[in-house]
Amino acid sequence: MPNSPNRLLSQLPQTSRRRLDSLGQIVELRLSETIGTAGGPTDAVLFPSDGFISLLAQVDGGHAIEVGMVGREGMLGIQLALGVSTEPLKALVQGPGQALRVSAAAFRRELRADPALRATVNRYVYVLFAQHARAAACLRFHQIEQRLARWLLMSHDRAHADHFRVTHEFLAYMLGVRRVGVTLAAGALQRRQLIAYDRGEMTIVDRAGLADAACRCYASDQAAYAEQFG
Amino acid sequence: MTTAKLNHLLHSLPEAEWKRWEPVLEQVDLPLGLVLYESGRPLSHVYFPTTAIVSLLYVMENGASAEIAVVGNEGIVGVSLFMGGETTPSRAVVQSAGKGYRLSAERMKAEFNLAGPVLHLLLRYTQALLTQMAQTAVCNRHHSLDQQLCRWLLLSLDRLHDNKLIMTQELIANMLGVRREGVTEGAMKLQRAGLISYRRGHITVLDRPGLEERSCECYAVVKKEYDRLLPVTTAR
Repeated sequence: MPNSPNRLLSQLPQTSRRRLDSLGQIVELRLSETIGTAGGPTDAVLFPSDGFISLLAQVDGGHAIEVGMVGREGMLGIQLALGVSTEPLKALVQGPGQALRVSAAAFRRELRADPALRATVNRYVYVLFAQHARAAACLRFHQIEQRLARWLLMSHDRAHADHFRVTHEFLAYMLGVRRVGVTLAAGALQRRQLIAYDRGEMTIVDRAGLADAACRCYASDQAAYAEQFG
Repeated sequence: MTTAKLNHLLHSLPEAEWKRWEPVLEQVDLPLGLVLYESGRPLSHVYFPTTAIVSLLYVMENGASAEIAVVGNEGIVGVSLFMGGETTPSRAVVQSAGKGYRLSAERMKAEFNLAGPVLHLLLRYTQALLTQMAQTAVCNRHHSLDQQLCRWLLLSLDRLHDNKLIMTQELIANMLGVRREGVTEGAMKLQRAGLISYRRGHITVLDRPGLEERSCECYAVVKKEYDRLLPVTTAR
């Protein structure tokens, strides 16, 4: 495994983890790569060790919005644990990195045979469940600036670096707002010296300040995860 | 046959499971506005609505709320229990009065841990519910209040046994996370178009295809997923 292990895998007993390691292989997550399409088949599950993946719900054949994010704290493909083998959402790589890939067939066999794996995955389903629920309310009530601050914190947690590449266009797509809205919100955060943004390169300058600027949804998501996984 | 089988999940239990469950299922009255769970509090029971509809709401710290999903005779309230969470991230409140059945949390967990057909059924239901939640999120951002109102009426209608809903505009406003005036205006528009009639908290749907036409695609997306994932569906 790479040096920053996936946190779900590290929750598992050593025998469970070794089995998954031996069944799977390390793959690269490439920036902007679409890993899954809503309604398409689930070929494999991914446990990112770094890098992160956005879960997007789409409407009207184009508009999309992020309803969840998966990084080293989680996994992609929980629907297999729910007995469903089609992708529920679009999955798009947002931060490049690596992941352990286990084929759908092998993962299903492991789930059946390994209660410890089942329990861990179920707990993670609960975390994602809470994240989706919160997304619905957050999208209804919170301002772009708060939501952008939240998004930056979530990305920062998963990027393992203070810099990452992201365009305003991409942010607008994720947050489901117009580009000009993102530009204004990012400008406001930059004036408060919480971030620096230069030609597609985002730098987190003041993480604590950003946490103050974000809506409570960020802290609530963190708490839901901590409640399940400590 | 007991009325418990009006709930589609209970209806599709295999014979052996049904025999175990029947004596321990407890019928309950679910009056309008009853809160079944508060978010963050431990779950004592799971509920299988038969004629009632339950709304799952996400409640913000300032008290504002938005609906994330509805559960009627197609489903179960309390799925977080079998994901290992002892509490639920949402509030569950009865949005349309009726009846349902409940099972204690310990009993439900024990059934779930048998890893039999019940587990399979409930997990598939969970996936359908997740789809509804994700779709509601995107709908909240992209679709007009009028479209959302139509979607909401259709979701409710699928879970009722006639075309009448008893509902205050205040409750609808709470569900959709908008102001009451917005709901009044939206409902008046639908009434003028001859799609519904609204009188003192009673909504009667007059033209269902008309509502479907005015709704955003989110209704159809969610319905299709439920039809695909679950053995019997919300179809009337």
